[in-house]
Amino acid sequence: MLLPMSVSIRIAIVLVLLPLALAGENPEQLPPEQFGLQHLTEYLGLMPGDISFRRDYTEPDSFRFEIVADLMTHPLGMINYCTGLRDAHVKGQPEILAGVLFTDMATEYQSERLGPYHPDITEIQGRYNLYYTNLSLNRLLTRAAVYIDVVFPRSSEMMLAWLSSVQRKFLTNEFRELIVMRQEEESLSMQGLDSLEKLEEKYTEEFAAFGTMIDMDPVVAAGIDCLRELLLEVKALQGMVRSGQMTVADLLKEAGYLPDDFDAETYLGKQSGWKVGGPGDDYYRGDYRFILDFGGDDVYDLTYDPSNPHGVVIIDFGGDDHYRAESDFTCGSGCLSVGLLLDFSGNDRYDARSFGLGSGYFGLGILYDGGGDDRYNGDTHVQGAGSFGMGLLIDEGGRDIYDAALHAQGFGFVEGVGVIYDTDGSDSYYAGGKYKDQLRYEDHYLSLSQGFGYGLRPWMSGGVGAIVDLGGNDNYCADIFAQGCSYWWSLGIIYDSSGNDSYHCYQYGQGTATHMSLGIIVDDFGNDVYYGKGLMQGCGHDYSCGLILDRHGDDTYTAYDLSQAAGSANGAGVLIDNEGDDRYLIRNAKNSQGYGNPRRDFGSIGLFIDLGGTDQYAGNGRDNFYWKTDSKWGGGMDIELQPSDSMKAGD
Amino acid sequence: MILTVALAAVLLTGTVSAGMLATGELEQRIDSLFVIASSGEVRFRDQNEPAMDSIAALGAPAVPYLIDRFTTRSARERWTVIWILQRIGSPAVPDLVQALRRSDGLVVQRVCWALGDIKDTMAVEPLIQVCSHPRWQVREQAIGALGKIADIRGGSAAINGLADSIGQVRKAAAVTCGKLKLHQSIRKLAHVLGDDFYGARLSAAASLLKLDTNAVVATLADSVRSANRLVGNIACDVLGENGTDDAMLILLGETGSDNPDRRAHAAVALVKADPHDNCGFRKQVIDRETDRLVLLKIQSAIDAVGNGQ
Repeated sequence: MLLPMSVSIRIAIVLVLLPLALAGENPEQLPPEQFGLQHLTEYLGLMPGDISFRRDYTEPDSFRFEIVADLMTHPLGMINYCTGLRDAHVKGQPEILAGVLFTDMATEYQSERLGPYHPDITEIQGRYNLYYTNLSLNRLLTRAAVYIDVVFPRSSEMMLAWLSSVQRKFLTNEFRELIVMRQEEESLSMQGLDSLEKLEEKYTEEFAAFGTMIDMDPVVAAGIDCLRELLLEVKALQGMVRSGQMTVADLLKEAGYLPDDFDAETYLGKQSGWKVGGPGDDYYRGDYRFILDFGGDDVYDLTYDPSNPHGVVIIDFGGDDHYRAESDFTCGSGCLSVGLLLDFSGNDRYDARSFGLGSGYFGLGILYDGGGDDRYNGDTHVQGAGSFGMGLLIDEGGRDIYDAALHAQGFGFVEGVGVIYDTDGSDSYYAGGKYKDQLRYEDHYLSLSQGFGYGLRPWMSGGVGAIVDLGGNDNYCADIFAQGCSYWWSLGIIYDSSGNDSYHCYQYGQGTATHMSLGIIVDDFGNDVYYGKGLMQGCGHDYSCGLILDRHGDDTYTAYDLSQAAGSANGAGVLIDNEGDDRYLIRNAKNSQGYGNPRRDFGSIGLFIDLGGTDQYAGNGRDNFYWKTDSKWGGGMDIELQPSDSMKAGD
Repeated sequence: MILTVALAAVLLTGTVSAGMLATGELEQRIDSLFVIASSGEVRFRDQNEPAMDSIAALGAPAVPYLIDRFTTRSARERWTVIWILQRIGSPAVPDLVQALRRSDGLVVQRVCWALGDIKDTMAVEPLIQVCSHPRWQVREQAIGALGKIADIRGGSAAINGLADSIGQVRKAAAVTCGKLKLHQSIRKLAHVLGDDFYGARLSAAASLLKLDTNAVVATLADSVRSANRLVGNIACDVLGENGTDDAMLILLGETGSDNPDRRAHAAVALVKADPHDNCGFRKQVIDRETDRLVLLKIQSAIDAVGNGQ
């Protein structure tokens, strides 16, 4: 059949121009890692797009984040996603990062995103008498009161509107048991462990039946709005004090006249659960709703009762403060509500129990620390951990120490986002050492932390867990499951922009993903050290993609087996090192450095890519070399993407 | 210590024949043994195998209970069922074949998997019946099982599967075509070298190496000119593995391609086909190659064959 002339001509022109256009595309102009991926896959009879996983490999569930489901179809898109995350924070404005993360909390089949409860005018006006005389201070307190008294509880009600009272109690009892572990479990018999496992399965199935009725969007959105509004007022107050326009004493000046029958509950800032502290060293103890402290080295002994959920806002302008938890769910913890802890400066110490330090548990928890050398201690679900909500810990500057046991340091559980964003300073991250990994070892501990996404296989997809660290020589130390790692329809990320960093993990880590999930480490600059035993450094197991991308520096990679670009059980493992004189050490070359093993009658994908420098290998690789391993299917290349100019001046 | 004695007692009584047990007792026995067999805890791992053996020793009467456990959502339990059914072997086939008629597609696909592992030809016709099942996972497992059983009656189902709309099914079909040595599938397998799904593509390449070499080379002589560059590139790899004179001539021609990737595939395949350069093609190819990365690929291939890789 003849085509109409115009269409034929157009096709002819396209056919003539297409090869020219393709010839004009210089692959070496692509970002190095993209060129490497295209080039190596071509060599192996593959395409970058082959790293893709069907959504129907497993039964769908209603808890799956759209961003995770989408990236599963093109996992190499994780690189751009991480870059977006790195660029999402603006110094001094934590609400921006929170807002960006909130957009990624849409689930796959969610048709609309609900906003927070909007109070009517009667709910905003005239609730309190004024105790303080300063207009700016009263404005801050008024805004906080509207959120704490009205918006948070009403938004929480929207979140749980469809749940019965029994189901609501389930959230803080049985569901919590799915997240915490107990050391006593180590001594259980086989039957005991089986019973425990069955009980947890029962809890999971029970929850899966009604969990889809929970919509945490109103609460998370309310918390972000509150943060945005309060920060404007806080900055106005800080500006007044800093400019000398007003002293703190002026700010805290009380009303000249108080009636004889003064009832604190009716006065703004004096209600129960509220405290406004001056510039001296203050001590706070109890279950607070609002604290504003203008400075000094303060001590906070905080409690929270999850059976009586409420919003908590703590604002501390400065000083070397010590925050101590006397219960779970404190210190920037949103439990069925919103928890904001904003500490603007000082060398602070945060000692939480579980569910704190930027923990969103059916809610939003943000800990913002504006500077100083800080120390963060906690147990489980701490330091940027989210389950049906968002947990965010932002630390701007200083040499910080993060210590936790489990499900921590950028941990995203079901419908949860957990992020640590640390802008500067040489930081130490440690996760593990408390709860044994009984399934695999008698002498290793679960971490499930440090940029870790975790779902309950096969019932509920997981969330997004990330650490973004922009500067300093950082140390990351963990044991089992950590460091840009994931399990079951989730995403784990570490993005470290600069510094000579050290990553230490025993198994399942450093850009490793397992069972339908995605894990990635991106490290831009510095001479970095990656050390681990197995399933490390770019390993994807069971329809998963694990990726490690190191863009610059002289790096050292050490592992024993199934690591450094290893695909397992139809997964894909990718290691890309763009520049630098690197060392790659592997103990078992038969399943590493560009390796894929077969499962379900076909292979996995292992891509090992080094694009520059003089490199040393123990394993399959070699400097200036292409290789295919005797596996299904994998290989590697070590080339000079930008060859050094051999011409000398005057030649 | 008390636990160890208790476990030994369970395992010992597990070796009694199924005929000695009433229905309820049998189910109870399987349940208690299955807890042990599927325990993932490292400290109980040495009890897994004896427990699986004990269930397998119960033979065919245990099979319906095991099939019912295929509904499990636990991967570890699923694997345990498969491993026990493998040990029971042919006596398990009648009940498994019966289970292919179940409405639960998840169970059916797992039953297909078990039948493939048992490799009993009694299952061939029933498996062919489910090769057109609406659930793609069933089609994939059924066609794959036919390949494992290696009965030529499954040939048509496998060749039809090469045109399935789902990549995983085409992959299973490509694998089975190789296992059944279906020479009539060569042309279709050559087409699958350009498949969107890498599993199908590279499985087709592996299967072509199992089929009539001359027929494969003759077919690939055309395929290297395919508009789909993947077909030509992977065809070069297959020709390199075949290593016949005709294959090498085709490859030599492809080393003159305008496309550096194609030249690399052809040149590397030539090195593979003639590792000692008996035909003296190597210098000619290297001398006319201008692309530094293609040259590095060729040199790497030469080094690899020199090292016996």
